[in-house]
Amino acid sequence: MLESIPTELRIIAFIGAVIVAVVALVALRGEWPKTRLEDHVTKIMMVLLTVGCIEVMLVAIGTIGRVK
Amino acid sequence: MAAANAHAVSDAEYAEVSGHRLLGFLFFLISDCVIFGNFIFSYLYLRNAAPLWPPVGIERPYLYLAAVNSIVLFGSGATMHYAMEGMRHDRRSQFIGYTLATIVLGSMFLGGQAYEYTHLLPHTTWAGTTFGASFYTLTGLHGFHVFIGVIFLIVVLLQTLRGTYTQERHFGLTAATLYWHFVDVIWVALFFLFYIY
Repeated sequence: MLESIPTELRIIAFIGAVIVAVVALVALRGEWPKTRLEDHVTKIMMVLLTVGCIEVMLVAIGTIGRVK
Repeated sequence: MAAANAHAVSDAEYAEVSGHRLLGFLFFLISDCVIFGNFIFSYLYLRNAAPLWPPVGIERPYLYLAAVNSIVLFGSGATMHYAMEGMRHDRRSQFIGYTLATIVLGSMFLGGQAYEYTHLLPHTTWAGTTFGASFYTLTGLHGFHVFIGVIFLIVVLLQTLRGTYTQERHFGLTAATLYWHFVDVIWVALFFLFYIY
């Protein structure tokens, strides 16, 4: 069933990825001045989360990823 | 009772013990990284040893459902971050709202994964091929971690409602947040390996 609606899924994925990437970057900016150990770990996690969002954006616009 | 026990130690003692606990918890996450790393390198070895990948007769996992599912999980990482911020600034309603959102998004991810296993991969089985074995082992192990994370979040949410955690004393919430971010980040690698690479 889902294989018949790839365009809709791609649009949802792209919009979702943009929103989450922006939120992650805003969170990273807020965390940046903090210096405790867990804050540094959170910064790394937010950067990697943004990388994941970029990955999904590229999939959604068809730059990377194989369907079959 | 729990709240009374939590305050049986001084703030200075609690801060010191929290530092040790945090270090211990980070070692736990690193050891979990090693487990995933072992499976990932096994997968890469098998993939490079095979003449054709995926093997003949095996379809690739469906990319676009996984993309949407990934965003659901990444979004849960963002909501968990703001839940923790709520607790740090003593905004309990923000913490509760965002934690509930994280639990819902984590459950949606598990539902998406269950749908993928049951509807989108009819010819790929765990026992059939090295591809199926690798795929189900790694994504299943990750799904298990997400499931444990959802349980973890439900427990800390209930503890918060009972008053166990405060703005100054909330190591359990810090651990839950780090665990959830870890689960998110592992999926970045798995999504790349199985759906993109």
